[in-house]
This record gives sequence, structure tokens and C-alpha cells, in this order.
Amino acid sequence: MRIMIVDDSGTMRTIQRRCLEKLGVTSIVEAPNGQVALDLFDQTTIDLVLTDWNMPIMDGLTLLKEIRSRNKEVPIIMLTTLACKTNVVSALAAGVSDYLIKPFTPELLQEKLDKWISTRV
Amino acid sequence: MTSASATKTDLKVEYINPVITATKTVFETMLDCKVERTDLILKENSALSYEVSGVIGISGKISGTIVLSLSHRTALEVLYRLVGTKTSVIDDEVCDAVGELTNMIAGQAKAQLERYELSVSIPTIVTGRNHLIQYASNVKPMCILFDSGIGPFAIEVGFASPN
Repeated sequence: MRIMIVDDSGTMRTIQRRCLEKLGVTSIVEAPNGQVALDLFDQTTIDLVLTDWNMPIMDGLTLLKEIRSRNKEVPIIMLTTLACKTNVVSALAAGVSDYLIKPFTPELLQEKLDKWISTRV
Repeated sequence: MTSASATKTDLKVEYINPVITATKTVFETMLDCKVERTDLILKENSALSYEVSGVIGISGKISGTIVLSLSHRTALEVLYRLVGTKTSVIDDEVCDAVGELTNMIAGQAKAQLERYELSVSIPTIVTGRNHLIQYASNVKPMCILFDSGIGPFAIEVGFASPN
């Protein structure tokens, strides 16, 4: 089980990595933008993607569309400050698996992750 | 009060209340920290009271700026509460944490102002004593002062009213 965290904020990547470690996930890769994430996705096996939306170089929605053009099955969770209905609808139309709005409690993030990790074990 | 000034006042309340609500939600959820609003003032000059500021631009049917300004101690505590890292200086990690907190406040406020179809910029961090944030000449920012379990801080909200 290898999970990729995509966020331009190191702080947010640390928070997410700690949640994953608490769930027993040890194979974690990190990317600071969608382009680096897509390159990693093409080069290695990724079982779940946790991505921010607003990032430089390539945003999370573009990353979502790019991954879905390659892989329809891998769970992709959008973790973002964008809480408007239009954003959620766009992400759902592009094939997002789950959508979590910042701010979030660690418990809520762990609950979402646990749900999707269990589908991949 | 003329109808024009009444409309301007209503607009300010309309913009500011979502930011206050968002600030409380973000501090309570991410930092486990209760906050209390202590004052609301119209800024007459651009000098901020605190040492670290996260600045986010907002654009859409209205445009403006949201600034989260923290004291040195509060900024360090934000990093500690988010990721458990202790430091005594305002470094890249502290700035990243403050930027992300600002981003969340702007994102929450944006959701409450959805009818204005707003876009939010990536945050910029300004540090240093007595630093200045310059607003457009037609913008008179409101400054909301807060006290919290991790020290005092301020939010500045400056929106240009629609024509």
C-alpha cells in the first residue's frame, strides 16, 4: 500500500503523513504540485492519492483529470479549502472519490483515509 | 445616513462577518484554540501591530484582501499546534503554517460569499516589525482584533465595493 500526498504546503503534508502513519501506512510519497505528482504516478505504483486543489504549476483538478485518463480505479481524495458547490461538482464530474474541506480534524481525515484504504487492502 | 453610505456599511458587514466566522472555525478546528473578538476598528494607516502576516488576494464580482497578522509568539505556537515543531525564530516552516492558516480562513469565507464567484490567490507571507500592507486607494480596511489561547492576533479585511 503506497499513498501519495500532494500539497504545496509542507505543513499540510506533515499533518496528512502523521494521520497515515497512525493508520499503519509506512509507504508514503509526497509531491509539492500536480506535475511532480503525475510524474511519480507514471513511474511507480500508487494505491491512493490525497491531493490539494490550489497548487502552483499543476493544480489538483488537472492532476485528477490526468490520473483518471490513465486509471479509473485508484481512489483520489481531494483535500482543499475550496468549499463552494461549483468546486465540489467539478471534482465529482472529473472522478474524485471523496472530497474533504479544510479545516478538518485529524479524526475526520483518519476516518476518510481508513474507509478508502480498506477498499485497497 | 444616506442610502449610499448605508449600502456601504451593509456591504462591510456582509464581507466581514464570514471572515470572522471562518477565523473562529479554523482556529478551533486546526489549533484546538478558542478565539474571542476584542475589537473592530477602521484602519486609518497601513501599519500592522504584529510581526507575521499572511496575505491573500480575493477577486471576482468583488475584490480585496484578507490579512491574518500574528505576533511572533502566536506564529510560533501555530506551527507547534499544527505539526508539533518547536522553534524560536520565524522560519520557512512557520511562514508555511501561517500561510496555510490564512488560506483556510479565506477559503471558508469564500464559501460563505459564493454568490460573488470569488477566486483566492496563493498566500504571501510578510514578516518583520512594523511592516506595511498597502491597499488600493479606494479601500478602507477593517481590522478585527482577537484574543486566543495562543495569544492575540488580528484579521484585516479590505474589499472594494462593487461599482
